[in-house]
Amino acid sequence: MGERMVLEIKGLSFSIDERKILKNIDLKVEKGEFIGLIGPNGAGKSTLLKCINGINKAEGSIKVKGCEISKLDGRKIAREISLMHQDTLITFPFQVIDVVLMGRYPHNGRLKGESLEDYEIARRYMKLTETLELSERKITNVSGGERQRVLFAKTLTQETGIILLDEPTASLDIAYQEQIFDYARELSGNGKTVIAAVHDLKIAARYCNRLILMKDGIILADGKPAEVLTAENLKSAYGVNAIIYRNSITGQMDFYISKRNGEKKGTVHVIGGGGSASGVMRYLFERGYTISSGVLWSGDSDLRFAEVFGIKCIKCDPFCEISEEIYQSNVALIKESEFTIISNMPFGNSNIKNLEAALNAKRLVIIEDEPPEIRDYTEGKALTLYNELKSKAIVTTSARLHEIL
Amino acid sequence: MNRNLSSAEKNNRNAETQGKKLMSILPVMLLLLAASVVVATAVGDVYIPFSDTVRIILKKWGLLKNIEFSYGHEAIIFNVRFPRVITAVLVGGALAASGTAMQGMFRNPMADPGLIGVSSGASLGAVTAVALGLTVKSLYFMPVLAAFGAAITALVIYLLAARDKKVPVLTLVLAGIAVGTFISSVTSMILMSLHQQNQIKEFLFWSIGGLNDRRWEHVKLIALPVIICVLIMMFFSKDLNILLLGEEEAQSLGLDPVKARRGLLFLASAATASAISVGGNISFVGLIVPHIMRLILGPDHRVLLPASFFGGSVFLILCDIIGRVMFPVEVNAGIITSLVGAPYFLYLLIMARKGGNLL
Repeated sequence: MGERMVLEIKGLSFSIDERKILKNIDLKVEKGEFIGLIGPNGAGKSTLLKCINGINKAEGSIKVKGCEISKLDGRKIAREISLMHQDTLITFPFQVIDVVLMGRYPHNGRLKGESLEDYEIARRYMKLTETLELSERKITNVSGGERQRVLFAKTLTQETGIILLDEPTASLDIAYQEQIFDYARELSGNGKTVIAAVHDLKIAARYCNRLILMKDGIILADGKPAEVLTAENLKSAYGVNAIIYRNSITGQMDFYISKRNGEKKGTVHVIGGGGSASGVMRYLFERGYTISSGVLWSGDSDLRFAEVFGIKCIKCDPFCEISEEIYQSNVALIKESEFTIISNMPFGNSNIKNLEAALNAKRLVIIEDEPPEIRDYTEGKALTLYNELKSKAIVTTSARLHEIL
Repeated sequence: MNRNLSSAEKNNRNAETQGKKLMSILPVMLLLLAASVVVATAVGDVYIPFSDTVRIILKKWGLLKNIEFSYGHEAIIFNVRFPRVITAVLVGGALAASGTAMQGMFRNPMADPGLIGVSSGASLGAVTAVALGLTVKSLYFMPVLAAFGAAITALVIYLLAARDKKVPVLTLVLAGIAVGTFISSVTSMILMSLHQQNQIKEFLFWSIGGLNDRRWEHVKLIALPVIICVLIMMFFSKDLNILLLGEEEAQSLGLDPVKARRGLLFLASAATASAISVGGNISFVGLIVPHIMRLILGPDHRVLLPASFFGGSVFLILCDIIGRVMFPVEVNAGIITSLVGAPYFLYLLIMARKGGNLL
C-alpha cells in the first residue's frame, strides 16, 4: 500500500498577504488515481495545485514518492509533476512543435538540443491531442482551443508520473472537452496520477474515480463521485439546491439545480403519464407549489420525475388496471388539492379512470397542447369524458400555464 | 498510411532543420560580418581598394607574405579603421544581444537595455570624467567611469524594484524612469558647470554615441567583458525560451524565473555598460535589431541570440559607414542609428495600433 502512495500532503496551509487561501489540508493520493478537484470559484483549487508542484511555497509537508518537495530542486520536481495552467498566453511567435518540445526542458541539459527521441515523444502526444497538423504553425496564430490542446500536448511531453490539470477544458468545445478527460482517464489507467481542477461537475462525476470538494480553503468532502456529490454537500459548497439523479437516458449521474425559494404556494394535483406531466411538475415545483400526482404506472418517466423531485405520488404496477383502492386514494388527493391539472396526456383504457377521478377537482385546469383526438386510444370513449371535464375547466397550453398558476 | 509516412518524414526533416538551423545561419552571418568589416575598412576619406584591404588584413595575420603596401595604407587600416570596426562589432553586438535578452526575460518586445537606467548612469560617469579633467590624462578614464556609473545605477534600480526576491517588471520600469531622470538632472548640472567649450563638446560627442577615433585601447577594454557576457547569455538561451511562456509555466518546467531573470539582467547590464562606455549612448540598436532578427528567424533564442549579436555588429558598422561617406561632414554612428531606428520604432507602434501582431 505504501508503495502505491505517490503524493502525501500533511497540514498544508498557504496564505497571500495574511489571507489564508488553504487551511490545513491533508491529502493522500495513490498511483493511478484520477482525482477531480471541485468547488466554487475561489475555493483554492488552483492554489492547491500550485502548492503541489512547489510554485506556491506552502507551509506543511508535501511528499512526492516519499521525498519532501521543498528539498527538491525545480528540475527534479518538473520530472515528477507537470502542471497545465489555466491561462497561459504566449505572445512570441514560436512554432507549435517548439512549444511542445519545451516540455522536454527538465529532462535535458542547458546546452543539449532536442534529440530525435524528444521529437518522437512530442509528436506522439501531438498526434494524441490532434495537434500534429499544427506542428509548423505559429502558436500566436492558432485558435484558443487549439492553443489549449497544444499546451496539453506540452504537459504530456513532460512525461511525469503526476499530472496536474488546472481547468484544462476552459476554452475547448464539447468535443475536445470529452477528449481531454477521456485521455486523462486513459493515462490514469496506465499508472499516471491525474489531479484536475474541474468546473463541470457532470464531467467530473463521469470521468474521475475520486472527487475532492473544496470550499474556502478546506476539503469539504473526499471520496467516490456518488459519495461526494450529495445534495447536502452541494448545498454547503455552492449554496444551491441540487437534485441529483441518474439520468435514465444516459445512465449517468446528472444534476438539476433548483432556484425554488422557501416560499410556499397552494396544492396542486397533476394527472399525467407518458412523460406529459414532467414539464408541468417541474414548473410548479420551481414556483413553490406542493404537488401530488397520480395515478402513474411504474416505469413511466413522469413517475421517475416525481420520485426524484420528492413529489407525493399514487402508483400502480405496470400494465395493470387501476384498482378501486388506488382509485380512491387518487380521488382523495384530488379532493384535497386546490387545483387539479390534466396534462397533455394520451388516453387509454387503463388510465381512463384518472379522467373520472378528475371530476372531483375543486378547480380543474386542462393543458391542451395537441388536439385530444390524436391522443385518444379508446375509440372515443375517453373523449366524451374529456369534453365533459373541459366544460367546467380552464383550458390552456403548457406555454401559457403561468397565466393561471 | 501513406499520409502518415509523409508527415513522419516531414517531421524528421523538421527535427534536423531545427538542430541545424543555427549551423546554417552562422556562416551566413559571419560572411555578412566579414563583408561589412572589409567594406568599412576600405571606405573612407582615403579609399583603399577592397582587394588591397583583404590582402593587408591577411598579411597581418601571416597568411600572405612578401607583399609590400604603402606604409600609409597599412597604418590607416590598422591604427585607424580596423580598431574602429572591431569596436563597432563589439558595441553593436553587445547592445543587440542584451536587447534580445531583455525583451525575452520581460516578455516584452518593447524592452531594451536603457530600461534599467544603464545609459543615464553611464552619462553621469562620462560627464564626471570630463569635468574632473581626467579625459586629458588617459583615454581609459571616460569608459571606465561610464561603465562604473552604469553598473551602480543598474544595481540601485534593481535593489529598489526587488521585493521578496521578486522583481516586478512594472516596478523596475518605474524605478528606472525615476532614477534615470534624477541622474540625468545631476548630469545636466555638472554639464552646466563646465566652462571650457571643448569639455562640453567632448561630452556631447560621447553622449551622441559614435565610433570616431576609437583605438585598440578601447577594443582591449571591452572585448573580454562583452564576449564573456554574451557567451554566458547564450548558455542561458534555452531558459530565455522557457521564460517566454510566463512565470508559472517556467516554474512548472523546473526553471526558477527569478534567478534566471536576475542572472540575465546582470549579464545584459554588464554587456550594455561595456558597450556604451566605449561607444557612447548609441540608441535603438538594442531595440530594432532583435526585432528584425526575430521577424526573420523566429523567437528561439538559441538561434536568435547569436544572430542578434552579429546583426547588431553589422547594423552598427553599416550605420558608421553611412555616417562617414554619405554626408559632407562625418556624422556620428549614434545619430544614424536613431535616424533609422526612430522611424522603424514608429512603424512598429502604428502596426501595433492597427491591431496587427507586434512581432
